[in-house]
Amino acid sequence: MRYLIFGLVLSFGLSAQKLSTRKGYVKFFSDAAVEEIEAENTQCSSIINLDNGSFAFLVPIKAFQFEKALMQEHFNENYMESGKYPNASFKGNILSFESPDLSKDQNLKWKLKGRLTIHGVEREIEEEVMVRIKDGKLSLSSEFNLKVSDYGIDIPATKKDNISNDLKITVKFQYD
Amino acid sequence: MTKNLLLVGAVFALPFFAIAQGDDLLAELEEKTKPATTYAFATWKGTKVVNLQTNEMPAKGVLQYTILHRFGAFNDDFFYNFMGLDNAQVRLTLDYSPTTWLNLGLGHTGFLKTYDFFAKYRLTRQSKGARNMPVSIVGYSSMYYSAQRYNDGIDRNFSRRTSYVHELVISRKFSQNFSAELVPTLIHSNLVQRSADNNTLFALGMAARYKVTPMIALTVEYVPVLNPNQYPDINPDPLALPADLNLSNFTNALSVGFDIETGGHVFQLFVTNARGVAEPYAFGQNTGSWLNGDLHFGFNISRVFTVGP
Repeated sequence: MRYLIFGLVLSFGLSAQKLSTRKGYVKFFSDAAVEEIEAENTQCSSIINLDNGSFAFLVPIKAFQFEKALMQEHFNENYMESGKYPNASFKGNILSFESPDLSKDQNLKWKLKGRLTIHGVEREIEEEVMVRIKDGKLSLSSEFNLKVSDYGIDIPATKKDNISNDLKITVKFQYD
Repeated sequence: MTKNLLLVGAVFALPFFAIAQGDDLLAELEEKTKPATTYAFATWKGTKVVNLQTNEMPAKGVLQYTILHRFGAFNDDFFYNFMGLDNAQVRLTLDYSPTTWLNLGLGHTGFLKTYDFFAKYRLTRQSKGARNMPVSIVGYSSMYYSAQRYNDGIDRNFSRRTSYVHELVISRKFSQNFSAELVPTLIHSNLVQRSADNNTLFALGMAARYKVTPMIALTVEYVPVLNPNQYPDINPDPLALPADLNLSNFTNALSVGFDIETGGHVFQLFVTNARGVAEPYAFGQNTGSWLNGDLHFGFNISRVFTVGP
């Protein structure tokens, strides 16, 4: 019986090495000649496995909030086709991963490598991530750029001055 | 004892199973975050197909301005009338959505100097998931007042100058590209032309759209009136007795066109046999027919402004 309790405690301890959040934040910013467009999403979810450094996040496309309702509708209907591709996602690993000590406040830098899927198109990316551990909580944040055309999203010629092909993406996750 | 050891072993193994399964973190996330209900959106590009309403409404806090034109007929001295432009019918509307489910607006139509106000209200939204609803249903009610001056001695008081249209838009987005709707419609005029005319007409509008590119959609719309009124010949035989006058049914409106979306605008370009721009004239009082070439080029243009909270 003692072993059983010991085993249960241990198994709880191990599974706690997987951290997750459902309130992750993703923002994109487009700076075109005549218009700046920005949209924020606070319903992103993410999981990180602190045993092996595997990592994933999921971005529900319909949850992006724009300044104008019509922009949001066009984003979903004409560009992202969110009826067909409801989520963007990332799945990958932290390179040369060492499990961090969560009891110690610290700032780290990780490199993430994996496959980013947007609009049904999967591409390999490698980005640097800022890591902060404070009061036992782990947060990640990253900024990177991506090209709309890389993901099979077509911006018509008449919209080239309104929508930039280069988007600045900001990602922030604070794990529970 | 061996039994206990086995148990301990199994318990130890548990977390490893968990990790092995947890390797597909993405699948785990997808499972966890499945939205309870997803709603159909962008069923149509505009708030109208051609003459019929769609289930689309400007979002809360959005002001919409529309300009609607119907040009002169192709078979009416088309080039002399500068491709019909010289005798175009015009309608302007301005509407605003104070909430997500209500849209209120004002309109003016050149024909019979008609002023109108209208309300559009959402009843259901097409959705699937936890809440399953096969169609979006939206009601549209409008009241028209004709300010036309007459010299015929007939007393036209306020009530005689008014007419009403109610539409119940039952719409479904079948796929990303294809949407269709059925629109039971009631048209009531307090004053009609002839004593035999129905004051209330019933119509069953139907419309469909197919998106050929993300920005361009083909549309078709047909509004059969179930109890149409009749009109006498425009140039009757002067010797005919009143009883022998030839009467014809008003024709049903058939329109074919396409929508072009450019950011804040929707351009709808079409060909229709409905000369009237406002609903009571477009649905109940058409004399033109596709077979005779009584066709009118027309357009609806909308512009939206985000003004409210």
